[in-house]
Amino acid sequence: MFGPPQTMSKKTGGANTAIGYRYAEDTLKGDTDRHVVRQRQIYSQAAYGASGRWEIYGRVGVSDLQIADAFRSSSALTAVSRDSFEENWKFFGTLGAKAYYPVNSVFGVGAFVQGSCNFSNFTDEVGGTSGGAPFAADMKVKYLWDVNFGIGVQASVPYGIQLYAGPFVYYTEADAYLSGSVPGIQSGAEKTSLKNASAVGGFFGVAVGLGRGFGLQIEGQYTDRFSAGSAVTYTY
Amino acid sequence: MKVNLFILVLVIFFFAAVGFPGCPAPDAVCARLPEMGNGQVIGDGQWGRGDRLWAMGDGKSQDPVHAESPSAGEDVPARKDMKPSGRSQDAFQDEYKDEGQDYDDEPFADERVTIADPIEPFNRLMHRFNDRLYFWLLKPVAEGYKEAVPEPARISVKNFYYHLLFPIRFVNCVLQADLTGAGSEAGRFAINTVWGVGGLLDPSSNQGIELPKQNADFGQTLGLYGVGHGFYIVWPFLGPSSPRDSVDIAGEYVLDPLSYFTPWYTSLGKRPLKMINNASLSLGDYEAVIEAAIDPYIAIRNGYIQYRMKEVQARRDRSLFFRNRKNAAPEAADPPPAN
Repeated sequence: MFGPPQTMSKKTGGANTAIGYRYAEDTLKGDTDRHVVRQRQIYSQAAYGASGRWEIYGRVGVSDLQIADAFRSSSALTAVSRDSFEENWKFFGTLGAKAYYPVNSVFGVGAFVQGSCNFSNFTDEVGGTSGGAPFAADMKVKYLWDVNFGIGVQASVPYGIQLYAGPFVYYTEADAYLSGSVPGIQSGAEKTSLKNASAVGGFFGVAVGLGRGFGLQIEGQYTDRFSAGSAVTYTY
Repeated sequence: MKVNLFILVLVIFFFAAVGFPGCPAPDAVCARLPEMGNGQVIGDGQWGRGDRLWAMGDGKSQDPVHAESPSAGEDVPARKDMKPSGRSQDAFQDEYKDEGQDYDDEPFADERVTIADPIEPFNRLMHRFNDRLYFWLLKPVAEGYKEAVPEPARISVKNFYYHLLFPIRFVNCVLQADLTGAGSEAGRFAINTVWGVGGLLDPSSNQGIELPKQNADFGQTLGLYGVGHGFYIVWPFLGPSSPRDSVDIAGEYVLDPLSYFTPWYTSLGKRPLKMINNASLSLGDYEAVIEAAIDPYIAIRNGYIQYRMKEVQARRDRSLFFRNRKNAAPEAADPPPAN
Protein backbone atom coordinates (compact mmCIF):
# COMPACT_ATOMS: atom_id res chain seq x y z
CA MET A 1 0.00 0.00 0.00
CA PHE A 2 1.36 3.34 -1.04
CA GLY A 3 -1.78 5.42 -0.72
CA PRO A 4 -2.68 8.49 -2.74
CA PRO A 5 0.20 10.79 -3.57
CA GLN A 6 -1.36 13.67 -1.68
CA THR A 7 -1.36 13.60 2.06
CA MET A 8 -4.66 13.28 3.86
CA SER A 9 -3.52 15.55 6.66
CA LYS A 10 -4.96 19.00 7.06
CA LYS A 11 -3.25 21.77 5.18
CA THR A 12 -2.38 23.43 8.45
CA GLY A 13 -0.49 20.32 9.36
CA GLY A 14 -1.62 17.33 11.31
CA ALA A 15 -1.56 13.62 11.80
CA ASN A 16 -3.45 10.88 10.14
CA THR A 17 -3.58 7.25 11.03
CA ALA A 18 -4.71 4.11 9.34
CA ILE A 19 -5.19 0.44 9.81
CA GLY A 20 -4.64 -1.64 6.76
CA TYR A 21 -4.55 -5.08 5.29
CA ARG A 22 -2.51 -6.09 2.31
CA TYR A 23 -2.20 -9.28 0.38
CA ALA A 24 1.00 -9.28 -1.58
CA GLU A 25 2.45 -11.66 -4.07
CA ASP A 26 5.72 -11.43 -5.92
CA THR A 27 8.32 -13.65 -7.47
CA LEU A 28 11.72 -13.87 -5.85
CA LYS A 29 14.60 -15.55 -7.51
CA GLY A 30 17.29 -17.52 -5.73
CA ASP A 31 20.54 -18.76 -7.09
CA THR A 32 18.82 -21.10 -9.47
CA ASP A 33 15.17 -21.16 -8.53
CA ARG A 34 12.26 -18.77 -8.68
CA HIS A 35 9.69 -18.77 -5.92
CA VAL A 36 6.30 -17.18 -5.62
CA VAL A 37 6.21 -15.36 -2.32
CA ARG A 38 2.97 -14.47 -0.58
CA GLN A 39 2.52 -12.21 2.38
CA ARG A 40 -0.50 -11.06 4.30
CA GLN A 41 0.09 -7.93 6.25
CA ILE A 42 -1.95 -6.19 8.91
CA TYR A 43 -0.58 -2.88 9.95
CA SER A 44 -1.20 0.31 11.80
CA GLN A 45 0.07 3.51 10.28
CA ALA A 46 0.75 6.93 11.69
CA ALA A 47 1.58 9.84 9.45
CA TYR A 48 2.19 13.52 9.62
CA GLY A 49 1.69 15.84 6.72
CA ALA A 50 1.13 19.47 6.00
CA SER A 51 0.08 21.95 3.34
CA GLY A 52 -1.27 19.18 1.19
CA ARG A 53 2.21 18.78 -0.22
CA TRP A 54 4.15 16.34 1.88
CA GLU A 55 3.86 13.55 4.35
CA ILE A 56 6.02 11.20 6.33
CA TYR A 57 4.63 8.01 7.67
CA GLY A 58 5.49 4.90 9.58
CA ARG A 59 3.83 1.55 9.94
CA VAL A 60 4.06 -1.27 12.39
CA GLY A 61 2.34 -4.51 11.68
CA VAL A 62 2.49 -8.24 11.44
CA SER A 63 3.01 -10.33 8.40
CA ASP A 64 3.15 -13.96 7.53
CA LEU A 65 5.27 -15.46 4.80
CA GLN A 66 4.80 -18.25 2.31
CA ILE A 67 7.44 -19.23 -0.18
CA ALA A 68 6.18 -21.66 -2.73
CA ASP A 69 8.41 -24.59 -3.56
CA ALA A 70 11.09 -23.51 -1.14
CA PHE A 71 11.60 -27.11 -0.09
CA ARG A 72 10.97 -28.71 -3.44
CA SER A 73 13.72 -31.12 -4.25
CA SER A 74 15.33 -31.15 -7.62
CA SER A 75 17.00 -34.44 -6.81
CA ALA A 76 15.29 -37.76 -7.28
CA LEU A 77 17.15 -39.05 -4.24
CA THR A 78 15.57 -36.52 -1.92
CA ALA A 79 11.93 -36.67 -0.90
CA VAL A 80 10.45 -33.97 1.31
CA SER A 81 7.30 -33.91 3.42
CA ARG A 82 6.09 -30.69 1.82
CA ASP A 83 7.22 -28.16 -0.70
CA SER A 84 6.34 -24.74 0.62
CA PHE A 85 7.80 -22.64 3.36
CA GLU A 86 5.21 -21.17 5.70
CA GLU A 87 5.52 -19.07 8.81
CA ASN A 88 2.98 -17.11 10.77
CA TRP A 89 2.87 -13.58 11.99
CA LYS A 90 6.04 -11.65 12.57
CA PHE A 91 6.48 -7.95 13.16
CA PHE A 92 7.54 -5.61 10.44
CA GLY A 93 7.98 -1.88 10.14
CA THR A 94 7.70 0.56 7.29
CA LEU A 95 8.87 4.11 6.82
CA GLY A 96 7.93 6.32 3.95
CA ALA A 97 7.64 9.83 2.66
CA LYS A 98 5.66 11.37 -0.13
CA ALA A 99 5.49 14.72 -1.85
CA TYR A 100 2.73 16.13 -4.00
CA TYR A 101 2.40 18.95 -6.44
CA PRO A 102 -1.10 20.03 -7.51
CA VAL A 103 -1.22 20.87 -11.19
CA ASN A 104 -4.73 22.24 -10.94
CA SER A 105 -7.76 21.76 -8.77
CA VAL A 106 -8.31 18.27 -10.13
CA PHE A 107 -4.98 16.79 -11.09
CA GLY A 108 -1.69 16.57 -9.36
CA VAL A 109 1.50 14.57 -9.43
CA GLY A 110 3.50 13.16 -6.61
CA ALA A 111 6.36 10.93 -5.70
CA PHE A 112 7.05 8.63 -2.80
CA VAL A 113 9.72 6.46 -1.31
CA GLN A 114 8.92 3.65 1.06
CA GLY A 115 10.95 0.97 2.75
CA SER A 116 9.96 -1.99 4.89
CA CYS A 117 11.87 -4.40 7.06
CA ASN A 118 10.89 -7.47 9.01
CA PHE A 119 12.14 -7.35 12.56
CA SER A 120 12.10 -11.10 13.06
CA ASN A 121 13.23 -14.11 11.16
CA PHE A 122 10.76 -16.45 9.55
CA THR A 123 11.40 -20.09 10.34
CA ASP A 124 9.95 -23.33 9.07
CA GLU A 125 10.92 -26.98 9.23
CA VAL A 126 11.08 -29.64 6.61
CA GLY A 127 11.66 -33.34 6.87
CA GLY A 128 12.08 -36.21 4.49
CA THR A 129 14.57 -38.67 3.25
CA SER A 130 17.69 -38.15 1.29
CA GLY A 131 19.38 -41.16 -0.20
CA GLY A 132 17.16 -43.33 1.96
CA ALA A 133 18.26 -41.62 5.18
CA PRO A 134 15.77 -39.48 7.06
CA PHE A 135 16.60 -35.83 7.61
CA ALA A 136 15.07 -32.80 9.23
CA ALA A 137 16.13 -29.28 8.54
CA ASP A 138 15.11 -25.75 9.47
CA MET A 139 14.93 -22.92 7.06
CA LYS A 140 15.24 -19.36 8.27
CA VAL A 141 14.37 -16.39 6.13
CA LYS A 142 16.31 -13.45 7.49
CA TYR A 143 16.52 -9.78 6.71
CA LEU A 144 13.48 -9.58 4.49
CA TRP A 145 13.32 -6.00 3.36
CA ASP A 146 12.25 -3.91 0.44
CA VAL A 147 12.43 -0.38 -0.81
CA ASN A 148 10.08 1.26 -3.29
CA PHE A 149 10.17 4.47 -5.22
CA GLY A 150 7.38 5.67 -7.44
CA ILE A 151 5.56 8.56 -8.96
CA GLY A 152 1.85 8.91 -9.22
CA VAL A 153 -0.86 10.96 -10.81
CA GLN A 154 -3.88 11.82 -8.77
CA ALA A 155 -7.31 13.01 -9.83
CA SER A 156 -9.79 14.43 -7.38
CA VAL A 157 -13.29 13.70 -8.57
CA PRO A 158 -16.64 14.63 -7.01
CA TYR A 159 -17.89 13.18 -3.75
CA GLY A 160 -14.46 13.42 -2.20
CA ILE A 161 -13.06 10.56 -4.23
CA GLN A 162 -9.45 10.48 -5.28
CA LEU A 163 -8.17 8.24 -8.02
CA TYR A 164 -4.48 7.64 -8.38
CA ALA A 165 -2.10 5.52 -10.38
CA GLY A 166 1.51 5.39 -11.37
CA PRO A 167 4.62 3.30 -11.88
CA PHE A 168 7.16 2.36 -9.29
CA VAL A 169 10.47 0.60 -9.03
CA TYR A 170 11.42 -1.59 -6.14
CA TYR A 171 13.99 -3.89 -4.69
CA THR A 172 13.37 -6.81 -2.36
CA GLU A 173 15.89 -9.03 -0.70
CA ALA A 174 15.99 -11.78 1.86
CA ASP A 175 18.46 -14.42 2.93
CA ALA A 176 17.31 -18.01 3.29
CA TYR A 177 19.37 -20.29 5.49
CA LEU A 178 18.98 -24.02 5.63
CA SER A 179 20.25 -25.64 8.83
CA GLY A 180 21.98 -28.35 6.84
CA SER A 181 22.92 -29.04 3.30
CA VAL A 182 20.31 -31.26 1.70
CA PRO A 183 20.90 -32.47 -1.86
CA GLY A 184 18.19 -31.26 -4.18
CA ILE A 185 17.00 -28.40 -1.97
CA GLN A 186 18.31 -24.98 -2.90
CA SER A 187 20.93 -26.73 -4.95
CA GLY A 188 22.33 -28.14 -1.78
CA ALA A 189 23.48 -24.72 -0.63
CA GLU A 190 23.03 -23.64 2.97
CA LYS A 191 22.42 -20.03 2.16
CA THR A 192 20.51 -18.53 -0.67
CA SER A 193 19.89 -14.89 -1.35
CA LEU A 194 16.40 -14.18 -2.65
CA LYS A 195 15.79 -11.08 -4.75
CA ASN A 196 12.87 -9.74 -6.71
CA ALA A 197 12.55 -11.13 -10.20
CA SER A 198 11.18 -7.93 -11.65
CA ALA A 199 12.07 -4.40 -10.70
CA VAL A 200 9.18 -2.37 -12.03
CA GLY A 201 5.52 -2.32 -11.20
CA GLY A 202 2.43 -0.24 -11.33
CA PHE A 203 -0.11 0.78 -8.76
CA PHE A 204 -3.58 2.22 -8.89
CA GLY A 205 -6.10 2.98 -6.23
CA VAL A 206 -9.03 4.92 -4.99
CA ALA A 207 -9.45 6.90 -1.78
CA VAL A 208 -12.94 7.68 -0.55
CA GLY A 209 -13.96 9.89 2.33
CA LEU A 210 -16.30 8.17 4.74
CA GLY A 211 -17.11 11.18 6.88
CA ARG A 212 -16.19 12.16 10.42
CA GLY A 213 -12.56 12.10 9.46
CA PHE A 214 -12.52 8.54 8.26
CA GLY A 215 -11.55 7.43 4.81
CA LEU A 216 -11.17 4.25 2.83
CA GLN A 217 -8.34 3.39 0.49
CA ILE A 218 -8.31 0.46 -1.88
CA GLU A 219 -5.23 -0.16 -3.93
CA GLY A 220 -3.87 -2.70 -6.35
CA GLN A 221 -0.30 -3.28 -7.44
CA TYR A 222 1.13 -5.33 -10.22
CA THR A 223 4.71 -6.38 -10.46
CA ASP A 224 5.35 -9.95 -11.39
CA ARG A 225 2.23 -10.89 -9.52
CA PHE A 226 -0.84 -9.01 -8.39
CA SER A 227 -1.18 -7.55 -4.94
CA ALA A 228 -4.02 -5.66 -3.31
CA GLY A 229 -4.67 -3.88 -0.09
CA SER A 230 -7.11 -1.74 1.75
CA ALA A 231 -6.88 0.69 4.61
CA VAL A 232 -9.27 2.68 6.74
CA THR A 233 -7.77 6.02 7.58
CA TYR A 234 -8.52 8.71 10.10
CA THR A 235 -7.45 12.31 9.74
CA TYR A 236 -6.95 14.41 12.85
CA MET B 1 19.51 -6.61 48.01
CA LYS B 2 18.34 -3.95 45.63
CA VAL B 3 14.85 -4.13 47.06
CA ASN B 4 16.21 -3.67 50.57
CA LEU B 5 18.26 -0.70 49.43
CA PHE B 6 15.21 0.78 47.77
CA ILE B 7 13.18 0.37 50.95
CA LEU B 8 15.97 1.94 52.99
CA VAL B 9 16.05 4.95 50.69
CA LEU B 10 12.30 5.25 50.96
CA VAL B 11 12.41 5.13 54.73
CA ILE B 12 15.15 7.75 54.85
CA PHE B 13 13.22 9.96 52.50
CA PHE B 14 10.10 9.48 54.53
CA PHE B 15 11.71 10.60 57.75
CA ALA B 16 13.49 13.42 55.99
CA ALA B 17 10.17 14.62 54.69
CA VAL B 18 8.03 14.31 57.78
CA GLY B 19 10.68 14.75 60.42
CA PHE B 20 12.50 12.21 62.49
CA PRO B 21 10.96 10.80 65.66
CA GLY B 22 11.23 13.27 68.45
CA CYS B 23 11.12 16.24 66.15
CA PRO B 24 8.18 18.62 66.45
CA ALA B 25 5.01 17.47 64.75
CA PRO B 26 4.11 19.13 61.52
CA ASP B 27 2.37 22.41 61.97
CA ALA B 28 -1.31 22.84 61.35
CA VAL B 29 -0.95 24.09 57.87
CA CYS B 30 1.95 22.04 56.81
CA ALA B 31 1.23 19.82 53.95
CA ARG B 32 0.59 21.09 50.52
CA LEU B 33 0.17 17.97 48.52
CA PRO B 34 -1.98 14.99 49.12
CA GLU B 35 -1.57 13.73 45.63
CA MET B 36 2.09 14.47 45.16
CA GLY B 37 1.59 15.79 41.75
CA ASN B 38 -0.22 12.87 40.35
CA GLY B 39 -2.71 15.43 39.23
CA GLN B 40 -3.24 15.87 35.60
CA VAL B 41 -4.31 18.76 33.51
CA ILE B 42 -7.07 20.49 35.33
CA GLY B 43 -10.39 20.24 33.70
CA ASP B 44 -9.63 17.46 31.31
CA GLY B 45 -11.83 15.15 33.26
CA GLN B 46 -9.66 12.11 32.96
CA TRP B 47 -8.25 11.59 36.37
CA GLY B 48 -7.73 8.18 37.69
CA ARG B 49 -7.71 7.24 41.32
CA GLY B 50 -5.51 9.55 43.24
CA ASP B 51 -5.86 12.30 40.70
CA ARG B 52 -8.94 13.76 42.24
CA LEU B 53 -7.25 16.48 44.14
CA TRP B 54 -7.05 18.55 41.03
CA ALA B 55 -10.77 18.64 40.70
CA MET B 56 -10.53 21.62 43.00
CA GLY B 57 -8.73 23.41 40.32
CA ASP B 58 -12.00 24.39 38.74
CA GLY B 59 -12.35 26.91 41.47
CA LYS B 60 -15.85 25.85 42.38
CA SER B 61 -15.27 23.87 45.45
CA GLN B 62 -12.02 25.31 46.63
CA ASP B 63 -12.81 28.39 48.57
CA PRO B 64 -10.33 28.97 51.32
CA VAL B 65 -12.32 31.76 52.85
CA HIS B 66 -15.69 30.07 52.99
CA ALA B 67 -14.50 26.55 53.29
CA GLU B 68 -16.16 24.66 56.06
CA SER B 69 -12.94 24.30 57.88
CA PRO B 70 -13.17 22.31 61.08
CA SER B 71 -10.14 24.14 62.32
CA ALA B 72 -11.67 27.54 61.96
CA GLY B 73 -10.68 29.62 64.85
CA GLU B 74 -7.39 27.92 65.34
CA ASP B 75 -4.31 30.00 65.20
CA VAL B 76 -2.46 29.27 62.08
CA PRO B 77 1.28 29.24 62.47
CA ALA B 78 3.35 31.40 60.25
CA ARG B 79 4.29 29.96 56.95
CA LYS B 80 6.91 31.23 54.59
CA ASP B 81 5.12 30.55 51.37
CA MET B 82 1.66 31.44 52.55
CA LYS B 83 -0.14 34.54 51.43
CA PRO B 84 -0.73 36.54 53.46
CA SER B 85 2.13 35.36 55.57
CA GLY B 86 2.44 35.54 59.26
CA ARG B 87 -1.20 36.19 60.02
CA SER B 88 -3.40 34.10 62.16
CA GLN B 89 -6.68 32.81 60.88
CA ASP B 90 -8.44 34.95 63.50
CA ALA B 91 -6.86 38.01 62.05
CA PHE B 92 -7.81 36.85 58.64
CA GLN B 93 -11.40 36.31 59.69
CA ASP B 94 -11.47 39.65 61.43
CA GLU B 95 -10.49 41.30 58.25
CA TYR B 96 -13.27 39.66 56.29
CA LYS B 97 -15.94 39.41 58.97
CA ASP B 98 -18.01 42.26 57.54
CA GLU B 99 -17.81 40.90 54.05
CA GLY B 100 -18.83 37.49 55.24
CA GLN B 101 -22.07 38.87 56.61
CA ASP B 102 -23.09 40.00 53.19
CA TYR B 103 -23.30 36.50 51.86
CA ASP B 104 -26.06 34.05 52.33
CA ASP B 105 -24.65 30.57 52.54
CA GLU B 106 -28.01 28.84 52.38
CA PRO B 107 -28.09 28.39 48.62
CA PHE B 108 -24.86 26.50 48.94
CA ALA B 109 -25.88 24.43 51.89
CA ASP B 110 -26.13 21.33 49.77
CA GLU B 111 -22.61 21.92 48.61
CA ARG B 112 -21.28 21.38 52.09
CA VAL B 113 -20.00 17.92 52.44
CA THR B 114 -17.95 16.71 55.28
CA ILE B 115 -16.12 13.59 56.16
CA ALA B 116 -14.92 12.12 59.39
CA ASP B 117 -11.23 12.50 59.97
CA PRO B 118 -10.42 10.42 63.03
CA ILE B 119 -6.84 9.85 61.97
CA GLU B 120 -6.05 13.44 61.17
CA PRO B 121 -2.57 13.38 62.73
CA PHE B 122 -1.61 10.50 60.50
CA ASN B 123 -3.26 12.14 57.52
CA ARG B 124 -1.43 15.39 58.08
CA LEU B 125 1.78 13.46 58.34
CA MET B 126 1.11 11.75 55.02
CA HIS B 127 -0.02 15.05 53.60
CA ARG B 128 3.27 16.58 54.55
CA PHE B 129 5.16 13.59 53.21
CA ASN B 130 3.40 13.81 49.87
CA ASP B 131 3.94 17.53 49.79
CA ARG B 132 7.63 17.19 50.34
CA LEU B 133 7.79 14.36 47.89
CA TYR B 134 6.26 16.64 45.31
CA PHE B 135 8.45 19.64 45.92
CA TRP B 136 11.67 17.80 46.56
CA LEU B 137 11.47 15.03 44.05
CA LEU B 138 8.55 14.92 41.71
CA LYS B 139 8.47 18.56 40.67
CA PRO B 140 12.18 18.86 39.85
CA VAL B 141 12.06 15.62 37.91
CA ALA B 142 8.89 16.69 36.14
CA GLU B 143 10.45 20.02 35.21
CA GLY B 144 13.43 18.27 33.69
CA TYR B 145 11.15 15.82 31.94
CA LYS B 146 9.12 18.72 30.60
CA GLU B 147 12.21 20.30 29.14
CA ALA B 148 13.31 17.07 27.53
CA VAL B 149 10.04 15.78 26.15
CA PRO B 150 7.82 17.86 23.87
CA GLU B 151 4.27 18.44 24.99
CA PRO B 152 2.61 16.38 22.24
CA ALA B 153 4.67 13.39 23.31
CA ARG B 154 3.74 13.91 26.94
CA ILE B 155 0.09 14.16 26.03
CA SER B 156 0.45 10.94 24.07
CA VAL B 157 1.95 9.23 27.10
CA LYS B 158 -0.95 10.47 29.17
CA ASN B 159 -3.39 9.22 26.55
CA PHE B 160 -1.69 5.86 26.57
CA TYR B 161 -1.98 5.42 30.31
CA TYR B 162 -5.58 6.48 30.20
CA HIS B 163 -6.19 4.04 27.38
CA LEU B 164 -4.70 1.16 29.32
CA LEU B 165 -7.17 1.59 32.14
CA PHE B 166 -10.12 1.00 29.85
CA PRO B 167 -11.11 -2.23 31.67
CA ILE B 168 -11.63 -0.33 34.92
CA ARG B 169 -13.87 2.26 33.31
CA PHE B 170 -15.78 -0.26 31.26
CA VAL B 171 -16.44 -2.67 34.12
CA ASN B 172 -17.55 0.13 36.40
CA CYS B 173 -19.84 1.60 33.75
CA VAL B 174 -21.49 -1.81 33.56
CA LEU B 175 -21.65 -2.14 37.33
CA GLN B 176 -23.18 1.31 37.50
CA ALA B 177 -25.78 0.32 34.89
CA ASP B 178 -24.48 3.02 32.62
CA LEU B 179 -24.72 1.09 29.40
CA THR B 180 -24.35 4.20 27.29
CA GLY B 181 -21.13 4.96 29.06
CA ALA B 182 -19.95 1.37 28.66
CA GLY B 183 -20.66 1.58 24.95
CA SER B 184 -18.88 4.87 24.72
CA GLU B 185 -15.85 3.44 26.48
CA ALA B 186 -15.81 0.37 24.26
CA GLY B 187 -16.04 2.56 21.20
CA ARG B 188 -13.30 4.83 22.46
CA PHE B 189 -11.09 1.86 23.15
CA ALA B 190 -11.62 0.36 19.71
CA ILE B 191 -11.14 3.60 17.81
CA ASN B 192 -8.18 4.78 19.82
CA THR B 193 -6.51 1.39 19.61
CA VAL B 194 -6.87 1.16 15.87
CA TRP B 195 -6.61 4.73 14.69
CA GLY B 196 -5.02 6.17 17.79
CA VAL B 197 -1.84 4.10 17.39
CA GLY B 198 -2.53 1.91 20.37
CA GLY B 199 -3.96 4.71 22.47
CA LEU B 200 -1.19 7.24 22.01
CA LEU B 201 -3.62 9.49 20.16
CA ASP B 202 -7.21 10.22 20.99
CA PRO B 203 -9.29 10.46 17.83
CA SER B 204 -12.41 9.54 19.81
CA SER B 205 -12.45 12.98 21.36
CA ASN B 206 -12.12 14.76 18.06
CA GLN B 207 -14.91 16.62 16.41
CA GLY B 208 -17.13 14.29 14.49
CA ILE B 209 -16.71 11.33 16.81
CA GLU B 210 -16.83 12.94 20.22
CA LEU B 211 -17.22 9.89 22.37
CA PRO B 212 -17.12 11.22 25.91
CA LYS B 213 -14.67 9.86 28.42
CA GLN B 214 -16.16 7.90 31.29
CA ASN B 215 -14.19 8.32 34.45
CA ALA B 216 -15.91 5.49 36.23
CA ASP B 217 -14.15 3.79 39.10
CA PHE B 218 -14.92 1.39 41.90
CA GLY B 219 -15.26 4.11 44.50
CA GLN B 220 -18.04 5.70 42.52
CA THR B 221 -19.69 2.33 42.01
CA LEU B 222 -19.70 1.64 45.73
CA GLY B 223 -21.03 5.15 46.31
CA LEU B 224 -23.86 4.49 43.91
CA TYR B 225 -24.78 1.39 45.82
CA GLY B 226 -24.96 3.37 49.04
CA VAL B 227 -21.56 2.77 50.52
CA GLY B 228 -20.32 5.81 52.37
CA HIS B 229 -16.82 7.15 52.41
CA GLY B 230 -16.12 6.06 55.94
CA PHE B 231 -13.38 8.44 56.91
CA TYR B 232 -10.73 10.51 55.27
CA ILE B 233 -7.35 9.00 54.71
CA VAL B 234 -4.26 10.28 52.96
CA TRP B 235 -2.18 7.55 51.48
CA PRO B 236 1.52 8.07 51.02
CA PHE B 237 2.30 8.43 47.32
CA LEU B 238 -1.37 8.09 46.39
CA GLY B 239 -2.91 11.09 48.12
CA PRO B 240 -6.38 11.73 49.50
CA SER B 241 -8.83 8.90 49.66
CA SER B 242 -11.22 7.06 51.89
CA PRO B 243 -11.70 3.39 52.68
CA ARG B 244 -14.39 3.27 50.04
CA ASP B 245 -12.33 4.95 47.38
CA SER B 246 -9.30 2.89 48.36
CA VAL B 247 -11.03 -0.08 46.81
CA ASP B 248 -9.80 1.43 43.60
CA ILE B 249 -6.28 0.46 44.52
CA ALA B 250 -7.15 -3.21 44.43
CA GLY B 251 -9.46 -2.74 41.49
CA GLU B 252 -6.85 -0.95 39.47
CA TYR B 253 -4.33 -3.64 40.21
CA VAL B 254 -6.67 -6.39 39.07
CA LEU B 255 -7.88 -4.67 35.91
CA ASP B 256 -4.75 -2.84 34.86
CA PRO B 257 -3.16 -4.84 32.04
CA LEU B 258 0.30 -3.71 33.11
CA SER B 259 -0.15 -5.59 36.37
CA TYR B 260 0.13 -8.82 34.44
CA PHE B 261 3.36 -8.03 32.69
CA THR B 262 6.18 -10.39 33.38
CA PRO B 263 8.67 -10.14 34.86
CA TRP B 264 6.82 -8.35 37.64
CA TYR B 265 9.25 -5.47 37.97
CA THR B 266 8.49 -4.24 34.47
CA SER B 267 5.30 -2.74 35.83
CA LEU B 268 7.14 -0.91 38.61
CA GLY B 269 8.14 1.89 36.31
CA LYS B 270 4.58 2.47 35.23
CA ARG B 271 3.36 4.61 38.09
CA PRO B 272 6.45 6.80 38.47
CA LEU B 273 6.45 7.58 34.77
CA LYS B 274 2.75 8.29 34.87
CA MET B 275 3.18 10.58 37.86
CA ILE B 276 6.08 12.43 36.32
CA ASN B 277 4.37 12.76 32.99
CA ASN B 278 1.13 13.99 34.48
CA ALA B 279 2.92 16.36 36.81
CA SER B 280 4.81 17.83 33.87
CA LEU B 281 1.48 18.68 32.26
CA SER B 282 0.12 20.43 35.32
CA LEU B 283 3.09 22.16 36.88
CA GLY B 284 1.95 25.14 38.87
CA ASP B 285 -1.61 23.98 39.38
CA TYR B 286 -0.96 22.45 42.74
CA GLU B 287 1.07 25.41 43.83
CA ALA B 288 -1.83 27.68 42.92
CA VAL B 289 -4.20 25.60 45.00
CA ILE B 290 -2.12 25.54 48.11
CA GLU B 291 -1.14 29.18 47.94
CA ALA B 292 -4.78 30.14 47.90
CA ALA B 293 -5.60 28.02 50.92
CA ILE B 294 -5.43 28.97 54.58
CA ASP B 295 -4.92 25.37 55.50
CA PRO B 296 -4.09 23.30 52.45
CA TYR B 297 -4.84 20.10 54.27
CA ILE B 298 -8.39 21.16 55.08
CA ALA B 299 -8.91 22.74 51.70
CA ILE B 300 -7.78 19.64 49.89
CA ARG B 301 -9.80 17.40 52.11
CA ASN B 302 -12.95 19.40 51.51
CA GLY B 303 -12.25 19.73 47.85
CA TYR B 304 -11.60 16.05 47.50
CA ILE B 305 -14.77 15.00 49.23
CA GLN B 306 -16.89 17.47 47.29
CA TYR B 307 -15.36 16.38 44.06
CA ARG B 308 -16.05 12.76 44.78
CA MET B 309 -19.59 13.54 45.79
CA LYS B 310 -20.18 15.32 42.52
CA GLU B 311 -18.63 12.47 40.62
CA VAL B 312 -20.96 9.97 42.27
CA GLN B 313 -23.90 12.26 41.60
CA ALA B 314 -22.89 12.57 37.97
CA ARG B 315 -22.64 8.83 37.65
CA ARG B 316 -26.00 8.44 39.35
CA ASP B 317 -27.59 10.67 36.74
CA ARG B 318 -26.28 8.39 34.03
CA SER B 319 -27.31 5.13 35.64
CA LEU B 320 -30.33 3.23 34.42
CA PHE B 321 -30.98 1.91 37.91
CA PHE B 322 -30.17 4.84 40.11
CA ARG B 323 -31.08 7.94 38.15
CA ASN B 324 -34.71 7.98 39.32
CA ARG B 325 -34.02 6.98 42.86
CA LYS B 326 -33.75 9.38 45.70
CA ASN B 327 -30.25 10.47 46.37
CA ALA B 328 -29.10 8.33 49.19
CA ALA B 329 -26.22 10.77 49.51
CA PRO B 330 -23.96 8.52 51.49
CA GLU B 331 -21.36 11.23 51.50
CA ALA B 332 -23.73 13.73 53.03
CA ALA B 333 -24.69 11.21 55.65
CA ASP B 334 -21.15 10.87 56.78
CA PRO B 335 -20.46 12.18 60.24
CA PRO B 336 -18.85 15.58 60.55
CA PRO B 337 -15.15 15.89 61.01
CA ALA B 338 -13.91 14.78 64.33
CA ASN B 339 -11.66 17.77 64.75
